[in-house]
Amino acid sequence: MNIVVLVKQVPDTNSERRLTDSDHTLDRASADVVLDEINERAVEEALRLQEAHGGEVTVVTMGPDSATDALRKALSMGADKAVHLSDAALHGSDAVQTARALAKVIGTVEGVDLVLAGNEATDGRMGAVPAMVAEVLGLPALTHARKVEVDGSTVRVERETDEGVAFVEAALPALVSVGEKINEPRYPSFKGIMAAKKKPVTTLGLADAGIDAAEVGLANAATTVVEAAPKPPRSGGQKVEDAGDGGVRIAEFLAAQKLI
Amino acid sequence: MDFQESDEHRALRSAVAALAAKYGHEYWVEKARSGEKTTELWAEAGRLGYLGVAVPEEYGGGGGGITELSIVCEELAAGGCPLLLLVVSPAIAATVIARSGTPEQRGTWLPGFADGSVRMSFAITEPDAGSNSHRITTTARRDGDGWRLTGRKVFISGVDETDTTLVVSRLADSRTGKLRPAMFLVPNDAPGVEYQPIPMEFTSPERQFTMFFDDARLPEESLVGGEDAGLAALFAGLNPERITVAAYACGIGRYAVSKGAAYAGSRSVWGRPIGAHQAVAHPLAKAHIEVDLASLATRRAAWAYDADDPATGEYANSAKYAAAEAAIGAVDAAVQAHGGNGMTSEYGVGTLWGAVRAARIAPVSREMILNFVAQHTLGLDRSY
Repeated sequence: MNIVVLVKQVPDTNSERRLTDSDHTLDRASADVVLDEINERAVEEALRLQEAHGGEVTVVTMGPDSATDALRKALSMGADKAVHLSDAALHGSDAVQTARALAKVIGTVEGVDLVLAGNEATDGRMGAVPAMVAEVLGLPALTHARKVEVDGSTVRVERETDEGVAFVEAALPALVSVGEKINEPRYPSFKGIMAAKKKPVTTLGLADAGIDAAEVGLANAATTVVEAAPKPPRSGGQKVEDAGDGGVRIAEFLAAQKLI
Repeated sequence: MDFQESDEHRALRSAVAALAAKYGHEYWVEKARSGEKTTELWAEAGRLGYLGVAVPEEYGGGGGGITELSIVCEELAAGGCPLLLLVVSPAIAATVIARSGTPEQRGTWLPGFADGSVRMSFAITEPDAGSNSHRITTTARRDGDGWRLTGRKVFISGVDETDTTLVVSRLADSRTGKLRPAMFLVPNDAPGVEYQPIPMEFTSPERQFTMFFDDARLPEESLVGGEDAGLAALFAGLNPERITVAAYACGIGRYAVSKGAAYAGSRSVWGRPIGAHQAVAHPLAKAHIEVDLASLATRRAAWAYDADDPATGEYANSAKYAAAEAAIGAVDAAVQAHGGNGMTSEYGVGTLWGAVRAARIAPVSREMILNFVAQHTLGLDRSY
């Protein structure tokens, strides 16, 4: 079973993340960039499926040259090869453009049975790209997976959202996006790190992937960030003075916030 | 000249740092306090090949060198989990066996060092010989098709969590009758071998032991490298020991500086974080610089060792000296920035005081390093 995992390099959630002043796109220079943790889980799931069913795991990313580091991390975990779509014209692409571009790149990988992705990147927080990629490719989309099983030509998923858990299945080929609960990603072993150096990474420009430059990039995006402001600092919140009824009042507060 | 680490070295650093973060300093302290061992961390690091980075590939290791092992050692310590046994087992014992062991000894032991399943102690120091390894009195004599070992060792790390100890001793040369160094692989449970813990005043999951060898009977194959291995076999292990202790101290130094800076940045008195005051900030900045310099010296020493550079001895000594001093300064600055909290168990800074203080003494004291540099580098007369 051949699996493609969509991965993204994002600013480390521990560092300060900001948008550039000039065009409100992500300021990649101001933060440490890492493979998004949810993508590590997607890679982990792909490797587990590969251990059970064989086949090849290909990681795919779209991003600047530095995104190679994210691919190497996935390769050091055990993925077999990588494809990197990198072109200055992609800068500032919106979710729809990104999904179309990724669909083209997935099309360059032969015999794909399953596309895996994280359900939402920690930087954009759109949570839309996996479903859009499935739409473009005409694949069933099984999103928010907390468990994935493949049986023959069927993929079964436990889909967990705020509303509850749904048990869904689809015929392969399909796209599955995974949530935080799916697994604990492995650490790259030293041998994995050394082996990653020798694994093939194909770098594609727009033309190589058959993407029209007029369809991507900030100038052609359907959505525009008009304005951005930093999050306001946390306000003081509500103080509960304990006059013997502190516990009850805290419970009331939490109940009012629908937290209990 | 290129000071940028390779992609693989950076990836190894980040992977080991992530593993250390999973366990954290509280895990390490808890193990030390309860008398338990860091078994889970050791086993996981072993499975991931981090403990066997320097073991040759043909024996299942990573095929790297002391450079990679130093990265592992530093990053575990920087994550609050300094492992003393890393210095003893993979750095000394595995290196000695890989470099000087017979083909049979390599085949027997190296696969276990590669995945961390073998843990080995190292015994050199004696009550009456101290740092002077030429005055070692533990002696082996021929006994039919094996050996008899007699002597006493002190400050041997982790004997209660290893199966075997690599013991530095002396052997009567069959031709000249003169005593010369020889190393033996001694099962800790062999008849005639006893060990007792030495109560120590520092936080460490690894305990220290006195070992006694009373005419302990050893098989023929326990002599490392056979009768002709001698001094070269011993020295193959001592530089990696110094270099990995330096890496261990640098890691603790980084951990302390980061704890100190985080506290100084978040603790507010009179409306400002205490780190805004130079009296608090400068000692931490100084500690950062000194740890960073020591880390550079450590990388140079590791590089030299892996490249068989003749200056390895001096570089390893310099790195060990600089790293111990920098780490002591870093822990001290971090404790001071924390005030009273620095001495509490909760804040996890004072817990490292013993470990860094010991690094000024072991495996070779600050004074013996200064003697070495005065004599060998500066050409001054020997004082002893």
